[in-house]
Amino acid sequence: MIQWLVFLLFSALAVVSALGVVLLANPIYVILSLLSVLVAIAGIFFVAGAELVGALQLLIYVVAVTVFYVFVLTAVPWEKALKKDSHYRVEGLLSFPLIPLLYAEMLLVFLVGVSVSPKGEFRGLMQKFGNVEVIGGILFSKYFLAFELVSLVLLIGMIGAVIIGRKEAQTYDNHTS
Amino acid sequence: MTTIPLEAYLTLSLVLFGLGVFGMIVRRNMVTILMSMELALNAVNVLFVGADAHLSLVDGQVFALFVIALAAAEAAVGLGIIIAIFRLRRVDSTDEITDMRG
Amino acid sequence: MEVLILLSPLIAFLLIALFGARIGDMASALLCVLGGAFSFLFSLWATSRALSEPFSVKLYDFLPLDAYNLSLGLFFDPLSSVTASVVTFVATVIFIYSIGYMHNLFGQWTFKFYAYLSLFLFAMLLIVLSDNLLGIFFGWEGVGLASYLLIGYFHTQKKASNASLEAFVLNRVGDWFFLFGIVASFYLFGSLSILDIFARVSQVDKALLGLACLLLFGGAVGKSGQLPLHTWLPNAMAGPTPVSALLHAATMVAAGVYMVARLYPMFESAPESLRVVALVGGLTALFAALAATSHTDIKKIIAFSTMSQLGLMFLALGLGDRMSAMFHLTTHAFFKALLFLSAGSVIHAFHHHVHYIYETGRLKRYMPITYASFLVGALALAGIFPFSGFWSKDLIVATAYEKSFLWGVLVSVVSFMTAYYIFREGFVMFHGKEHFRHEQKEEPHESPSVMVVPMLVLSVMAVVAGFFEGWYGGILGVHKELHVDIAVLSVVVGLAGILVAYLVYVKGLIDPQKAYEALKPLHTTLKEQFFTERFYHKVLAGGYLFYSKVIYMTAERQLIDGVVNFTYPAVKGVGGVFRLLQAGRLNLYAFFMAFGFLMLLFITIFWR
Repeated sequence: MIQWLVFLLFSALAVVSALGVVLLANPIYVILSLLSVLVAIAGIFFVAGAELVGALQLLIYVVAVTVFYVFVLTAVPWEKALKKDSHYRVEGLLSFPLIPLLYAEMLLVFLVGVSVSPKGEFRGLMQKFGNVEVIGGILFSKYFLAFELVSLVLLIGMIGAVIIGRKEAQTYDNHTS
Repeated sequence: MTTIPLEAYLTLSLVLFGLGVFGMIVRRNMVTILMSMELALNAVNVLFVGADAHLSLVDGQVFALFVIALAAAEAAVGLGIIIAIFRLRRVDSTDEITDMRG
Repeated sequence: MEVLILLSPLIAFLLIALFGARIGDMASALLCVLGGAFSFLFSLWATSRALSEPFSVKLYDFLPLDAYNLSLGLFFDPLSSVTASVVTFVATVIFIYSIGYMHNLFGQWTFKFYAYLSLFLFAMLLIVLSDNLLGIFFGWEGVGLASYLLIGYFHTQKKASNASLEAFVLNRVGDWFFLFGIVASFYLFGSLSILDIFARVSQVDKALLGLACLLLFGGAVGKSGQLPLHTWLPNAMAGPTPVSALLHAATMVAAGVYMVARLYPMFESAPESLRVVALVGGLTALFAALAATSHTDIKKIIAFSTMSQLGLMFLALGLGDRMSAMFHLTTHAFFKALLFLSAGSVIHAFHHHVHYIYETGRLKRYMPITYASFLVGALALAGIFPFSGFWSKDLIVATAYEKSFLWGVLVSVVSFMTAYYIFREGFVMFHGKEHFRHEQKEEPHESPSVMVVPMLVLSVMAVVAGFFEGWYGGILGVHKELHVDIAVLSVVVGLAGILVAYLVYVKGLIDPQKAYEALKPLHTTLKEQFFTERFYHKVLAGGYLFYSKVIYMTAERQLIDGVVNFTYPAVKGVGGVFRLLQAGRLNLYAFFMAFGFLMLLFITIFWR
């Protein structure tokens, strides 16, 4: 029962904050709302029993990525965004019927899918070892290749971000200006 | 552990994903568009973890980890691009960069 | 060894065609003459063998089929070898003559002319000597090609290029018949070799054989310029005069007659087809003789005369007298070549500027040898004893009277008109008044000896060839008595024609000019060949042209161009619609992506 309560609390927080992400005008408020969403989702992970993912959510998302966004917002003058409309009105109206339709269709898929879903076999393992050990084991055995690829992608992403985001070289500046 | 049904996770994920897509469409500022994208990615993560809890698996959590890692990479590259565009054009709004117009 | 008959003109052709530009025009001409002369010598040698025993030479297997091996080869019997000798002899003489005739054009790529001449001779020999229908067809087409090239040799003149095209097109019609005739023969006999065909000719279905013969005869009609495919022949006079001589005397037009004679056993077995041959020949003989009486072009008169004489040959063939037709073909080759060379000599004397008989006159004084040659040729053509034409034509007249009185009268009428028109031309050109003074100040002079000697040689042949009648009949296995009454009749008829021409054009008994005016409709009708040429040009060719233009204006310009031109605005319009989607707006792209995803989901859910 307490689990339900906590889940509903975090869910409500996530949805309300997500509305804030989508609707608020000021980028600073938006980033705060995003932070709130991420924390709420981390809470939901904990409720679902995925401690490792929840912890990494907090560490990577809530700390690293959000800080990144804040840095970018300071680099790009966000005050300018306030002067103009922060949203496209026409596109919003156009896409508004799209969202309920999306909801309806996906709901249909999910409900059909849930009724035919199998029951798991990791329950015993999970109880025997902790969640972290199980994930670690499977991550470094079954999904080892994918893990390495992801690390490679992260490396490339880092290099790319550095190259794209750095100040242009002097010669290049002369050519473009 | 199993008191929360899968449908609850699904519904939450659905709502968040829809809001993320909606945000991507209606937002004008490029940074906020990227934030909406993070929202959609997190919705997917919720789905992965919820399905894991329902099925008593851990594969979904592994994928959630991958998604987090890739989201970090995407944020790094995407924000780098935004900064580069801003330096070049002094713009940060999507209706001011329509070079791809046919 | 006998292959050299064929090969020597072919080698001459190849050498001239490949190296003509390097070795020069004179050397090319000599090569051409050499090729012809060697060919003549070899054919004489082959003739001496063939007279005692016919033989064939296999060249190579052209198409090894399952049931039948189609091989090309040569067949020498008295008919083919003697014809080959005559052809090569006349051709060689004409080649020599052409050196003088074309001399003023040397240095203007004239070696082409000699290359074409050699090719012409080669193709004609292929027709004469081939032992199967396919080989004859190859030669047939080669002759058509060479004649096209030669008639249009003065290709800068519109008249010549038109004439060459006309010759080519009308020959195509004939060749089309000929090809189908070959197909029909192969269907009937299962073989193309003429010896096989002759062996089996009595075993096949008569009706089909008659059809095959008629188709083959269609080819001969096209090649020999008979009705109704005749209009190219007079127009072919646009070519150089040696070409006309070659075309009319030895090669092109003789091919049709020779082919019918060569395949005579086929025709004999289908008598119905022979009747058609006789009818076409007789009509053409009369028709061409009528046309010749009204024309004034130096060469066209002789051209119509050729048509007429070929018609007589076909008539003889149709009446079942192969020997006299072939003998007439032989003597005709000599005296017709002689006539053309004399006419060419006259034209040459006026530097190729004069084409009508009324622009000349009284050339007897200036060109005695040409005059004598022309006279010999004309007398031979008119059939006056003892010139060669008398002997051969007399045979045809006799055959015609034997068959039916009507045919005989027809031939006599034609003979009369022949004598009349050829002497009309001769009297106007060599007697009468001088009409060329205002054209040309200097006096015309006799041609150089390189032209005169061939004319003299041919004159001798035109006189003496007739005496070989008995020998020629002997080698073909036919013996014909000379009917004195008919001989006297035909000589009298010929002399009457000459007399009329003499009275009118030398004595001036009737003023020709006034006679023309009085009989203008008749004159025009005859001159226009009963309007057949005009009909072909205006109605058939013109109608086709009009039809093409209509198609061009409607289907081409409106329909096809319309469709093509419409694609541009259509593509532009559609593109303009899609262009709106490519607005370059990031959020719109996201919207479309979401929309597409939704549609895909929709399809996957509800597509059952």
